[in-house]
Amino acid sequence: MISLATEDLVIDIPERGDGTPLSLHVESGQVWGVLGPNGAGKTTLLHTLAGLRRPRSGRVLLDGEPLAGLRRKRIARRLAVVFQERQDGFPASVLETALIGRHPFLSPWDLETADDIGVARAALRAVELDGYEARPVNTLSGGERQRLAVATALTQQPALWLADEPSNHLDLRHQVAVMRLLRAQAAEGRAVLMCLHDVNLAARWCDRILLLYPDGTACWGPTATMLVPQALEGLYGQPLDVVEVGGVRLFVPRISVSLRKR
Amino acid sequence: MSAAEPEARSAGAVPAAPGLVRIWPPLLVLALIGVGSMLLAVAWGSVPIPLSGLFAVLTGDAEPLHRTLVLELRLPRVLAAFGTGGLLAVAGALMQVLLRNPLADPYVLGLSGGAAVGALGAMLVGLGALAISGSAFVGALLSTVLVFGLAHGTGSWTPTRLLLTGVVVAAGWGALITFMLVISPTERLPGMLYWLMGDLSYARSPWPSLTVLLLACVLIAPLGRSLNALARGPLQAATLGVAVRPLEWGIFVAASLLTATAVITAGTIGFIGLVVPHMLRLVFGTDQRLILPASALAGGSLLVLADIGARTLIAPEQLPVGVITALLGVPTFLYLLYRSR
Amino acid sequence: MGIADRGLPGNVVPALCAGAFCLLGMTQVLAGERLCVTDDRDRAVCLEQPAQRIIALSPGVTELLFAAGAGEQIVGAVRYSDYPEAANDIPRVGSHTRLDLETVLAMDPDLVVVWVSGNPPDQVERLEDLGLTVYFSEVRNFEDVAHSVRRFGRLAATGAEAERAADSFLDTIRTLGEQYADADPVRLFYQIWDDPIMTVNDSHLISQVIRLCGGENIFGDLERLAPRLDRESVLAAQPEAIAAGGMGEDDESWLEPWTGFPDLPATAAGNLFFVPPSTIQRPTPRVAEGAGILCEHLETARERR
Repeated sequence: MISLATEDLVIDIPERGDGTPLSLHVESGQVWGVLGPNGAGKTTLLHTLAGLRRPRSGRVLLDGEPLAGLRRKRIARRLAVVFQERQDGFPASVLETALIGRHPFLSPWDLETADDIGVARAALRAVELDGYEARPVNTLSGGERQRLAVATALTQQPALWLADEPSNHLDLRHQVAVMRLLRAQAAEGRAVLMCLHDVNLAARWCDRILLLYPDGTACWGPTATMLVPQALEGLYGQPLDVVEVGGVRLFVPRISVSLRKR
Repeated sequence: MSAAEPEARSAGAVPAAPGLVRIWPPLLVLALIGVGSMLLAVAWGSVPIPLSGLFAVLTGDAEPLHRTLVLELRLPRVLAAFGTGGLLAVAGALMQVLLRNPLADPYVLGLSGGAAVGALGAMLVGLGALAISGSAFVGALLSTVLVFGLAHGTGSWTPTRLLLTGVVVAAGWGALITFMLVISPTERLPGMLYWLMGDLSYARSPWPSLTVLLLACVLIAPLGRSLNALARGPLQAATLGVAVRPLEWGIFVAASLLTATAVITAGTIGFIGLVVPHMLRLVFGTDQRLILPASALAGGSLLVLADIGARTLIAPEQLPVGVITALLGVPTFLYLLYRSR
Repeated sequence: MGIADRGLPGNVVPALCAGAFCLLGMTQVLAGERLCVTDDRDRAVCLEQPAQRIIALSPGVTELLFAAGAGEQIVGAVRYSDYPEAANDIPRVGSHTRLDLETVLAMDPDLVVVWVSGNPPDQVERLEDLGLTVYFSEVRNFEDVAHSVRRFGRLAATGAEAERAADSFLDTIRTLGEQYADADPVRLFYQIWDDPIMTVNDSHLISQVIRLCGGENIFGDLERLAPRLDRESVLAAQPEAIAAGGMGEDDESWLEPWTGFPDLPATAAGNLFFVPPSTIQRPTPRVAEGAGILCEHLETARERR
């Protein structure tokens, strides 16, 4: 079981008002989607929830304990982050990169065991990167890199996933595969919170939605109540059309006739 | 995923203990190269000694001249060269992980300059050996604090910004060094210039450099995997459970100490810290658990070999070894840089 | 071997005898008795037998040894040891700023003459640690030149020749001194290097030569032995004469830039003089020759007033 709670949390974005203090409760089995236009603070929120940034006020509780007081190693055993940006000044191999996810579980003198390698290989297989083990990461495409980041987090076996645009760079097939993987994680008793720029991915895969407005105001709740045209049009400042496909409401931007392709 | 696990085990079983398999053979090879280069350096000098004479030194019934040449002149210098080269290479490897930039180096970031200013200043004032060492360490650490502090100043630092700050600070130290050279007594200028170019004939005792090198390797060894995580960026490292700030400061203090020890032993020798880790990564990959001890061994070997050149290329005239490492290092590095694009 | 037992009066007393009178008796050394002299660091340097294998670690020391009649015994010298002619054939042991210690050792010297302010102290220390007999040489005035020659003569058992050389050197200097004792002072700028412009202060032997010739070193009061100057400060000092060496024994190019300042007294009077650098910049008996040249130049300057 996992729980991540925020108490009157205000994320620290310079030169922005406090907005709505967030009191979220992320629990086992839930998949949260954070939606908002560019610059609304989605990534900052994600980093604050991971304890990588100090909040302006309020606090984050992991399993009931204040995140700020926990050692990084303990946090790392519960929570993994999939970042949007990655640095590879020193490109390791694909397997080595996934294997680093075992770091929180190993003591300084330990070398990775066969079990650790097994976990990493299984994670690579889960994102269809088996066979790539020996490739240096700088030879991978953007989508392959993205899947490797997911595999690294998978190797970390976290109870809570914090993912920043996990579908970035992915083709449609792999978008579905990664989303399905995250849903499966939630189904196994873990929790997922991800920032998304694609409303329809949130509509399809998330059961809780947090709408983050550029001025810092926010609202959250079950997907069905949050994903309504009025709220989303206000969020993006863009008129939307609603279509229903297979029982799921999807949203497409409404474009005036004169701009349409002939 | 759960269904795949039994299969995963059997696949992973091939390299049963991957670390042991991957880390020790390269280190063993490098250690052999190190011993080989030191033997070569002891055997080869401006005065030729026949092989029989060398064996006689081993067995203890050599000519007194051969004994003195090998045991009192060459051996301490060769050991000091090995220690110094190792120190510089490890310091370079550490700085590169810290900045996630293969161009980082104690020289580029001004640590060596700081140490040189510290040591030269203490020498000019006429302080003793211990004070010179302390002063060099303070200089290197001051450089570190200055570079990190300035680059950190407002908010986050990027490796590029840090590197640029380091370059500017290094230029500042360069100006101070020139100033000290100008005000120093004329007759001491040639000696100081040799020292600044890096010269192992200043190395009286190999033990400080070897001790610090061994100590550093032992202390850094358990940090290898954390450094691997840090190489992926501080945020990623933090989410993997690394206490990033303490680790970063630890690296800075360690790199300062390593650089200062090297500078005190043999002046400012360039390019070892830049080229050795870079070449090792091309051959062995990026696992710091291998790269750091490998840098110690390969850096040591490289400087030992370069010093053979310094002693014998234009003998009896003596070259500063820094000239040799620069002549080897600059083209190698440019080539590596060109190839890695 | 190595540095002698300082306490023994029998060793120290003869070493303190500097005069020819005392030394004549000393050159005949009985077998087994030690040869001792005091070097320029006031240490006693002792040999069991006259030096047969000497290494000279500066061009000046090589000259002094040759002057003392010990040139034959030099087995190793440093770069630029080019006087007298025979010095060019001596095997080299590096340059005075950086010695090849291996080669020094391999020559198995019984005496190493070190240039205190020119050789790297750490390497010299190393030579002592290795058990070699080291003589520290630092020649700062005319007396030092003569003393050094005499001491080297003693150590190499070529005392008679050394005495003659030292006496003749001091005679020349003394004669010049008497000749110009009452001469009108000439304000002189002496240039020992061109880029940067360098001169010498009054503790330098060259400045003593200038004084000997009745000249006045305009930068004699500066603190450093070889101060670096810019052209402006030389122009401001208004020297009546300028003397300079060059990159060779007949290279007068350092004087040329001064001809571009016609208002400078030295230039206006045509008092730009060349002194072959090896005759005055090395502290050896050849300074007598350089002193003669410089004195003549200054006399020329006086005549042009």
